[in-house]
Amino acid sequence: MNCCQSRGLFGAYWDDELTQAEREGLEAHFAGCPSCRGEYDELARTLELVGSLPRVEVAPGLDERALAKARRAVPVPDRIPVATSRWIPITATAALLAISGATVIQWTGTLAPRSAARQEMPSVQEPMLVEGSSRPTEPVLRAAPGTSEPVAVAGRGAADRQGQVALSDSLWEQGDDVEFILDAMTLRKGRAHPTSRLTPHRARGERAVITF
Amino acid sequence: MPPDHDPVPAPIVSLSDEDLMGRVAEQDERAFSELVRRYQGRVTNLVSRVLNDRECSDDLAQEVFVRVYIHRRNYRRGSKFSTWLFTIAANLAKNEIRRRVRRRNWFSLDALQEMVSDSAIQLADPTEGQEQTLQREQLQRAVGRAIASVPEKYRLALVLRDIEGFAYEEIGQMLGIPGGTVRSRINRARAMLKRKLQPVLRQEGTP
Repeated sequence: MNCCQSRGLFGAYWDDELTQAEREGLEAHFAGCPSCRGEYDELARTLELVGSLPRVEVAPGLDERALAKARRAVPVPDRIPVATSRWIPITATAALLAISGATVIQWTGTLAPRSAARQEMPSVQEPMLVEGSSRPTEPVLRAAPGTSEPVAVAGRGAADRQGQVALSDSLWEQGDDVEFILDAMTLRKGRAHPTSRLTPHRARGERAVITF
Repeated sequence: MPPDHDPVPAPIVSLSDEDLMGRVAEQDERAFSELVRRYQGRVTNLVSRVLNDRECSDDLAQEVFVRVYIHRRNYRRGSKFSTWLFTIAANLAKNEIRRRVRRRNWFSLDALQEMVSDSAIQLADPTEGQEQTLQREQLQRAVGRAIASVPEKYRLALVLRDIEGFAYEEIGQMLGIPGGTVRSRINRARAMLKRKLQPVLRQEGTP
């Protein structure tokens, strides 16, 4: 037995947990190695000091004080005998459904939510032709009832509805308030989605009114 | 309910810890008092040695028994009561050490090194001419400080083993660690403690 092996057995020797052979081997080593013998004696003296520390005296009335405080405390209910394995498939299924749902929404989110978002914006409605304009030859599209500002829009939807009506090429020739419908963007799941394409009849968003 | 200071009837005294705990679960306060009477010394001693703070140890020991009463229905009848009790005590002592570390940084590694140095100096240079009693008390205080300077996870295992005398397996259950880890921690704690107390041991002329 060398010194390293010997010192590895100090703790077990103190605890009297060595086999007979180990004990005899260690004691034989001690006999020929004063250094290891000294190290072990220091350890033993240290543990004697630790073990001989006086017991701390208990403050009187500890049981009464503990009981008084415990009475005031709310008792913890019985531990529920939960079969945790039973919850694992339920939790896993719920997580799978949530992930699947999120994935479906992510994939279809560019179409379906946009139409829903449009329905939620009542202030901008489809433009309609207003009769009796100051310039009958150049019809002006005004906003439908419910919108406070007139709207002049050049686009396929209005033209389709009005058939032969042609809009002026220049907004400056309208001689009336013009409302620009900006192409609004919505932010869903961290991505910007246009709520309208450039066609006026599908336009939704904030209005900016310019008076000429 | 009879007053707490009434003498405990013989049947209560003769009951095992586990049977008493069964009665405590049914709100038998006399059984609870008997359990406190049986273990208050060991619990107070444990927390006092782990924290090296006599003032705080009374409050913490009281809190241990309050927890026992509050969680009385969580005690599993087949398990050993003392293991369950000292698990609570060890956890509360651990929490208290960590609370102190957070609040005052008393037990940071640097502070530990300083404390070790201080205690070593005091141990190595005792005042000459002091009476034997004073020397013994000084030595005990120094040992207490040296124990308190051992890192928490080693300290708890050391106190449970070398002061309270629990078996390695029980300590493993209390601390929630395998038996091999318990042995490793205790061996390391003993080696640390020996290093810290080396000056006084050599001055004493030991071996």
